[in-house]
Amino acid sequence: MAILLLDILTTASMLFIVAAGLMIILGVMKLINFAHGAFLTVGGYAAHVVTAHGFSPWLTIPAAAAFGFVLGVVVERVVVRPLYSRPLDAILATWGLGIIIAQVIVFAFGREVQFAQSPISGTVDLFGTGYSSWRLILIAVAVVLGLLLTALLYLTRFGLNARAVIMNENLARGLGIDSIRVRAMTFGLGAALACAAGALITPLLSVDPNMGLPWLVNSFMLVLVSGIAIPGLALASLVLGGAQVLVSTFVSPIIGGITIVVLAAVILRIKPQGLSRG
Amino acid sequence: MADIPAAGRVPDATRRSSRQVWRTVLGAAIALAIVATAPLYLGTYMTNVLTRALFLAALALTVDLIWGYTGILTFGQSAFFGIGAYACALVFTHWGFGAGWAIGALVIGIAVAMVTAWLTGLLSFYHGASPLYSSIVTLALPIVLTQVIFSGGRFTGSSSGLSGFPTYYWKIDTWFWIAGVFLVVAATFAWLFVRSDYGRILIAIRENEDRCAYLGIPVSRIKTALFAVCAGIAAISGFGYAAFSNVVAPELAGFQLGTESLIWVALGGRGTLIGPILGAIGIDATSSYLSGNLPFLWNFIVGVTFVAVIILLPNGIASLITGAWRRYRTRGAGGGDQPRDSGIRLTAAPSVRAAAAAGRSASPPIRIDGLTCRYGSLTVLDGIDVEGKQGQLLSIVGPNGAGKTTLMRCISNGTERTGGTVTVAGTEIGRSSPQKIVGLGVGRSFQNTSLFDSLTVGDCLRLARYRIDGARPFYRSETVALPEPALEILAATGLDQRLGVETRYLSHGMKRGLELAMVLATEPRVLLLDEPTAGLTKPERTAIGHVLTRLAEEYGLCIFLIEHDLDFVREISNRIVVLHQGKLLLDGTVEEVVSSELVKAVYAGQDLEATV
Amino acid sequence: MKTLQRIGTLGFGTLALMGALMNSAAAQSTVKIGIPVGLSGANSVVAPSVVQSSQLAADEINAAGGILGKKVELVVADDGSGAQGAQRAFNSLVFQDDVDVLISMETSAARNAGLPIVNRAGKPFIYTSFYEGRSCSPNMFVPAWVPDQQVKPVVDHFTDTLKAKTFYLIGSDYNFGRGMLEFTRKYIEERGGRVLGEEYLPMDGSDWTSIISDLRSKNPNALITSTAGGAPNVTLTKQLRNAGIKIPYGNLAVDEGTAKTMGADATDMFISQSYMTGIASAENKKFLDAMQKKFGGELKTPNDLSVPQYEAIYLYKAAAEKAGSTDAEDVIEALPEVSFTGPRGNIQMNKQHHTPLTMYLGQVKDGGSVEVIKTFENVDPGEQCPNL
Repeated sequence: MAILLLDILTTASMLFIVAAGLMIILGVMKLINFAHGAFLTVGGYAAHVVTAHGFSPWLTIPAAAAFGFVLGVVVERVVVRPLYSRPLDAILATWGLGIIIAQVIVFAFGREVQFAQSPISGTVDLFGTGYSSWRLILIAVAVVLGLLLTALLYLTRFGLNARAVIMNENLARGLGIDSIRVRAMTFGLGAALACAAGALITPLLSVDPNMGLPWLVNSFMLVLVSGIAIPGLALASLVLGGAQVLVSTFVSPIIGGITIVVLAAVILRIKPQGLSRG
Repeated sequence: MADIPAAGRVPDATRRSSRQVWRTVLGAAIALAIVATAPLYLGTYMTNVLTRALFLAALALTVDLIWGYTGILTFGQSAFFGIGAYACALVFTHWGFGAGWAIGALVIGIAVAMVTAWLTGLLSFYHGASPLYSSIVTLALPIVLTQVIFSGGRFTGSSSGLSGFPTYYWKIDTWFWIAGVFLVVAATFAWLFVRSDYGRILIAIRENEDRCAYLGIPVSRIKTALFAVCAGIAAISGFGYAAFSNVVAPELAGFQLGTESLIWVALGGRGTLIGPILGAIGIDATSSYLSGNLPFLWNFIVGVTFVAVIILLPNGIASLITGAWRRYRTRGAGGGDQPRDSGIRLTAAPSVRAAAAAGRSASPPIRIDGLTCRYGSLTVLDGIDVEGKQGQLLSIVGPNGAGKTTLMRCISNGTERTGGTVTVAGTEIGRSSPQKIVGLGVGRSFQNTSLFDSLTVGDCLRLARYRIDGARPFYRSETVALPEPALEILAATGLDQRLGVETRYLSHGMKRGLELAMVLATEPRVLLLDEPTAGLTKPERTAIGHVLTRLAEEYGLCIFLIEHDLDFVREISNRIVVLHQGKLLLDGTVEEVVSSELVKAVYAGQDLEATV
Repeated sequence: MKTLQRIGTLGFGTLALMGALMNSAAAQSTVKIGIPVGLSGANSVVAPSVVQSSQLAADEINAAGGILGKKVELVVADDGSGAQGAQRAFNSLVFQDDVDVLISMETSAARNAGLPIVNRAGKPFIYTSFYEGRSCSPNMFVPAWVPDQQVKPVVDHFTDTLKAKTFYLIGSDYNFGRGMLEFTRKYIEERGGRVLGEEYLPMDGSDWTSIISDLRSKNPNALITSTAGGAPNVTLTKQLRNAGIKIPYGNLAVDEGTAKTMGADATDMFISQSYMTGIASAENKKFLDAMQKKFGGELKTPNDLSVPQYEAIYLYKAAAEKAGSTDAEDVIEALPEVSFTGPRGNIQMNKQHHTPLTMYLGQVKDGGSVEVIKTFENVDPGEQCPNL
């Protein structure tokens, strides 16, 4: 029972961490970034490069985030900016971008599975049994990330500008907010979060050119269900992630794999605005 | 190109339409001839590769119908392809093989695909669903299907799929012909379909879905039906693909193939049919050819081209060619805003006056009781009671934010109000969707004049007649029957001379005129007009006023009119309702309202509470 | 409107022309060996080593005068480790490159997808990957192990030496995974053991959370897994180690080289193979030296997939020479009758197109080296294809 609870908490934390970058971009830019999966992959490879050069595995996360930020700003300028007025096309263009990123990774690293050293491995004794220490760390990371993002949105100048753009972009521009800059920074931040998330999940996964792809659709569903708000995303991760663990445990791990998608489609049919609104 | 008919000349529509059919048949014949001879000079390998590509091209064709023409971004067409493929593999593997089994399997595949599509449509195409939600459901569909296949264990072969089941080991040439003929037939029907009356409706849904609903077009039902038919076609091609290749795998039903088919369509050119077919064949054949040599470079090139095309050429590579052709043609014709051969003649529909007389029953055209509308804590309308009588021109006035447009919305869409009842000709509207309410006889025009940009005036009018006259698939009607008042408006605004002009080239006044004509074409008993004269010149306004008065007096319509111009209101109305802060302030004759101190106070911007 | 049709016609014609040009087959002065292999996807970890050993075999044969005086030419095609890619790869190898023989290590899905094409074309096909068994075709030959040969050493060791009574089985949900574990379950039960759980995840699944939790709650004596090579193997092992699972762990799908790259996560894992780099024979030493010399720092550790590939190319040479031609029918007839002594000893595909093999039970040590614990001589593949 304790194990089940921990499974739910850690799965929800992973989902929260992985989906946060996608949500930031969708929230501020009204844009669905289908290259999100590829950004996660880039994070995994950043972790591989960092540890392969003998640096501490703990450095993988900031390194991935920094690289992701730069990548995001460039991508925003080249691919995303022309598509603000065509949101459905933006989905396709970012999907194409994901294909390109995957191919570039293949050129650079080959097609085979790569390995990155984990910051820590092994288990911690909890409620009488051992539980993966890395998964437990992810709970803490998710909580800290949630608080940091909230602080960023509500306590900083950038957050104020971003919220202004979210509410009414024209008005915000009228007030002298450089909305183009806000968008560029947001995309950079979203990509940085995605890459950092990629580095954070590598201790549990293999690093290969498609590692991020399975996470894309689930993150997308979670973000929509969240109603694009940080507490909403936490709630969605807990509810849907929990459902996934329960179905996997008690029904079948294969059916567990579609729990999030199916539940999200149903929830959005009933509450099109997601959990945190209306 | 020189024989563009001059304005006013009645085009010979019959000849034109049959010419269209003959051209298509000719094109199909040429395509069939190519299919028939191709294996002779292609060699086994290319024939093999192209046979697979032809089946996939049929898939791309359906994606183009759904996305390119109707505007539904679907990631899930592969699911239906997969259903067809698995129907073939499962029946042949587990039950039996032979002509009877093959037909049975095909029927099962089509039926399952169509039922699945129909259910998906019910879930995702309800009125008010965002386009994004439909896409989400189509994205979920192949993912769910893939997992269902995975969970099938030995029965479905799980990740490995099924292979080596008995199938027809015909020569590869035979398979090529089967695939080619199937594709040509499907493409020919699709070609005629998108150029038919029905095809125009698909484009109208893409361009302005909401407006379609308010013209009484059952948008959800049409989308669902289209989705189901396309699912059936995709299932047939999946079936053929499986029977030919003798292997099925979960990726045939997966979301990756669904996305790939979007890439083919986007690169080839959405909404062109031929573009997506060539896109699918070109990309799939080339990637097969290059899979041995440089698979990753090829994927990279496809990715880069795809992104570039989405950003720079939203209409695909075909648009380069068609764009050049169009420029070449319009140079000859002197600009796209010139009236062109529309292929449409206007005729008179059976008289509305007679219908109106027949409908002169005991119940009033419209009765509103205790209508309330709230958004969260904000009350926009509060307990409105109004009854509209036949032949009455009722103006609704009030300052901005008084709830005038919301009132219109609550009458024309059953899901908008939070309380009260609306009864149209004795029928309570309940939670009906807009298109049902149009069916009860309520016509509504909008504040903004966003019409269907790429449709012509004639197309728009025919669209408006869909509810009454229906639409023919595969064929284009030459006439549009319109009720008398609509014809009058068209004549008054000169639109009847411009039936072939795309609406985006119309002047503002003409757009207003067309909009009104379209609403009248639905033969309403109650007409809801939201600032029909905004932005019009004085003479235009007078003309509209004249028409409105006649509609009420001669045709017995009940008209609700939102207007800011009080002089105009005074001229034409026989009753005025004043709304203020969501409440009905006054309901009376023109004189009563005009002389009311209360109304003057409201319009002077004074505090209402202080005055009362 | 008409334009588009014209464009369509034009495009189609161009394609057709392209095809005609590509189809100009040149007269053959070489022996072409087609190698469809999973350069991408699940098999991408091991595929490079298979390509390397093929190159060595081809080089050696060419240096010694080729096959029947003709040079050997390798044509490698990526099958994407899946059915779709395999069809493309087989199609292009068989019909475009017109190879004489297909020799390759592939996933079961890819093999199943390719086999109809091989049968249609009537080419000989040597399938060099260990697999779940009982795939039969008059054209196909297998010089690698099947469950009957590989599972027994692991289960015997667990029950006899480690006294395991209860087992837990985890696999990837595909032919190989299910086939291996079905056999394993049967054999465990034959030996009086009990299987507490048998769980599968699709090949592209990476979240083993609930399965591992279930494993822990059932607390078996030993674990046996059979996943797809590559990513699933890595994610499962990582998550098992992260969850602190320390019971004896037999991995039916890992080879020596992969075990090494997995680092600490693979330590103590049991593997059962027909090839280990540590085999002390002159042939193996010669093979390893030649590989080292040819590839140097680029060398991928030779393994139980790449060595059968090397031997298979020699077996094909022997068969062609015995038949006196590279004619498909003659070669197919000769293949079961020839033998070759390679790094794994004497190999002859004479048991219903399958091969009796010597099997080694090994355990991964710190640092990734594999220690051979037991050797089982000449293990029979059993009744694989009674109709052949």
